[in-house]
Amino acid sequence: MAPPRTYRCEAIILGYTPLGEADLLVTMFTRDQGKVRAVGKGARRSTSRLVGHLEPLTAVKMSMAHGRSMDIITQAEVIEGFSKLKENLTAIAKGQYLAEIVDGFGAEASPNPSLYQLMIDTLQAVEADPASDMPLRFFEFHLLQVSGLMPELYHCVECRVELEPNAHRFSPNVGGTLCLDCHPDDAHLRPLSLRALKVLRLLERSEIAESCKLSLDDSLAAELKSLLSTTVSYWLGKEIRSNSFLERLNSETLPEVYI
Amino acid sequence: MTQENISGAAPSLARLVQELNRLPGIGPKSAQRLAYYIIRLPDDEAYALADAVTSVKQNIVFCEECQNLTDASPCQVCSDPRRDQTIICVVEEPLDVLAMERTRSFRGLYHVLHGVISPINGIGPDQLKLKELFSRLARPDLVEMVVATNPTLEGEATAMYIRRHQGRDDLKITHLARGLPVGGSLEYSDETTLSRAFLGRQEI
Repeated sequence: MAPPRTYRCEAIILGYTPLGEADLLVTMFTRDQGKVRAVGKGARRSTSRLVGHLEPLTAVKMSMAHGRSMDIITQAEVIEGFSKLKENLTAIAKGQYLAEIVDGFGAEASPNPSLYQLMIDTLQAVEADPASDMPLRFFEFHLLQVSGLMPELYHCVECRVELEPNAHRFSPNVGGTLCLDCHPDDAHLRPLSLRALKVLRLLERSEIAESCKLSLDDSLAAELKSLLSTTVSYWLGKEIRSNSFLERLNSETLPEVYI
Repeated sequence: MTQENISGAAPSLARLVQELNRLPGIGPKSAQRLAYYIIRLPDDEAYALADAVTSVKQNIVFCEECQNLTDASPCQVCSDPRRDQTIICVVEEPLDVLAMERTRSFRGLYHVLHGVISPINGIGPDQLKLKELFSRLARPDLVEMVVATNPTLEGEATAMYIRRHQGRDDLKITHLARGLPVGGSLEYSDETTLSRAFLGRQEI
């Protein structure tokens, strides 16, 4: 029997680009199929039934049809629009940061329901508290976990000795924490304070709500941010472009605006 | 496409195909079809096309005021004394100016950003005509700024960025109404559009 021509899925819209006269080429991360790129026919027309349902950072229930080269979106209905998130510039910038990372980590025809749920949970946490950076740190750490790149936090990755409660070193490319005696040749080593190691261990065993209650001082927050975003960027194999806009907004002292 | 890909074609024809192939939405086959169409055109039509391309590249400049594309700076709109100088409408692209002018309901000035903030695509505030906008906003006779970016995520983010950085307390800042398009239907509207349409309901 021939496979069905149409299918349904749940997806988070990551972005889109204009295609032809009035179409959109939509990139989405689905719960059951991984990353999918599909065409929204006529979706740029103001009277299209798809308009408003394909905006980035929106969770959508989709009906799709298999096309010759690309799938076609036949119906879309918003499940969660994250409308409060979209009223705040910093929250939008954080959402775009998440979308860029998921776009880079998500592979086509490679389902990862845990990553889908992680993105939904993180968007909800950003929406609830746009000023906090903890949802992003939780996301970066658990992204590595659900992608099979979980860093080692309890033993030296080189000599396997159990780590003492001291400052250590961290290397994204050899897989986590190193004791002070080990110096692998090609490791990108960076210092790791004991406080940062403890926060990483806490992130590992906590739910997102619990992690977001953490309040870190500026130096610890900066250390974790640098460590985790560098690690994600290393595995992504490229710079995370939306990070520079996010950092620019964070460095400004102007009052937040809402629309 | 390289010239080697279309071996057998005259070098000048291969070059035309190659150049047409660079245009957005034009694949190799379309480029070949267009090239052969141009060859079959009467001489005057083909030269007019070539002249139009040359002329647009030689004459089009950014208007020093609104940053729209124009033959002479300042552009027709900015140099028209009948336009309302107290209101400025900020749009993403030059085509948006044409769309607004078609409505005949706006008689103020424009400012064209030439894009929207799109961090994922590496487009930040410095790549847009925002510095020029903020210096225009310093004019004391300006009373209102209509931020008419598209109601998309990036359009809204750009609007918020403008509002956050415009630097005047006495300027009225508005954006276009959000709601249902003419010819649309409630059934297929998304929740954000419908709730904003409801908030903006009007007495009839």
